[in-house]
Amino acid sequence: MRAAFAVCAAAAVSFLALPVVAIFLRVPPETLVAQLTEPAARDALLVSLKTNAIAQALVLAIGTPAAYLLAANRFRGRSLVLTLVELPLVLPPAVAGIGLLAAFGRTGLLSTSAAFTQTAVVLAVAFVASPFYVRTAVAAFEAVDATVVDAARTLGARPWRVFARVALPLAAGGLGAGAVLAFARGLGEFGATIMFAGSLQGATQTLPLAIYAQFERDFDVALALGALLVAFSFTLLLAVKWLRSTSTSTFHFAISTSA
Amino acid sequence: MNLVLALLAAAHLNVFGASSLSEVLPRLDRTARYQFAGSDQLAFQIREGAPADLFLAASPKYPRELYAQHRCSKPVTFATNTVVLVVPRANPARIRSVYDLRRDGIRLVVGAKGVPIGDYTRRLLANLGLTSVLSNVVSEEDDVKLVVAKVALGEADGGFVYRTDVRSVGNRVLRIALPAAAQPTVQYDACVPTASKRQAAARAFLRRLLGPAGRASLRRAGFRVP
Repeated sequence: MRAAFAVCAAAAVSFLALPVVAIFLRVPPETLVAQLTEPAARDALLVSLKTNAIAQALVLAIGTPAAYLLAANRFRGRSLVLTLVELPLVLPPAVAGIGLLAAFGRTGLLSTSAAFTQTAVVLAVAFVASPFYVRTAVAAFEAVDATVVDAARTLGARPWRVFARVALPLAAGGLGAGAVLAFARGLGEFGATIMFAGSLQGATQTLPLAIYAQFERDFDVALALGALLVAFSFTLLLAVKWLRSTSTSTFHFAISTSA
Repeated sequence: MNLVLALLAAAHLNVFGASSLSEVLPRLDRTARYQFAGSDQLAFQIREGAPADLFLAASPKYPRELYAQHRCSKPVTFATNTVVLVVPRANPARIRSVYDLRRDGIRLVVGAKGVPIGDYTRRLLANLGLTSVLSNVVSEEDDVKLVVAKVALGEADGGFVYRTDVRSVGNRVLRIALPAAAQPTVQYDACVPTASKRQAAARAFLRRLLGPAGRASLRRAGFRVP
């Protein structure tokens, strides 16, 4: 019995690890590093870092107060709002792409001129990544001990002070973990970006788009970029684990304690 | 399991065709299974062992490369095409001629380098002495139909596609004539991958394409036939 479980575990782990290991085995490390200096690779790295940094800043700045509000209040239609916030988590990226075009495209609902610009990349990244942050942040704020918040309030702290000095520090571990998850998802964004922002080296071509563009032209460059993203993602996920273990409040990803 | 897969696969001919052939080929033969993409991508897949029985490319380059590597039969030319400039019907950038593409702020969408339409577009612009308009490119697409879609949607101000692509979106785009002298030679070549297990059926399809039925279909779709 035990042996069967062990076999299943080994099969699962090796199945998941094999493609990742294969990327690193196909090309020796020094070649991988050399490929990263290719102009296409360097441009993609810069585009990815810039657009993701801006998207993350927006997600944190707008998502944190929004999550606090959602966590602290019970109102009619709350589960509907939470479901809407979660939707991009499960939405196929291609649907996100046509949705963004239909909303922000030149002939779209708001008819902006964002398509094919870095703004489009930022919007695509923010759209697919923000639920990872907001959902985790809601759970983190919900997990803050209500008696502590009440104590602060009865001692005369204004709402802003309660938020900034009590809730925020207590939820910090969970918020950090959510931010890292959102960042990892944003870095890997592909489908919505290629449809809404197009693919132009140095402008809108992010790392995943560059991998796609290079894989039939220069497989080594594609592999090198792939290896870089694997390293990034692995580090980020490790960081999430670390943030969770140091978090003063426990939280559960994507599970609301009360809907 | 393998036997079932083999039987299923044997029933159909796998035709790998350039995107610009996606309307004409199914009309010629409905029984084949088609995969349409940029010819460079299809050539890459064939080299990586994709089960293609016939390769119909929008450029002689890729069939020739595969032939030189003994991965497919000697290429034959079955059609030619021309490059056109299309703009959305509303023509938001008021483009009247290809020279208007030099204006700042135009959003031009072209095929990526290596994709046949991308290479033809660059050759055409070089012939016109207009390579500077490439600085107005906002996106490089992986096949011609993606260029068509972005112009037809009205998201791009203009794009270079094949003459034959205009038919399917004729009511949503305007075609802008290009100086004939600047046209690159757009040639469609076919070859049968040596790894195909349905050589006879593939050759029969190719004969049909080169014969009266194929020529008539191609002409109706706006291609020229040699």
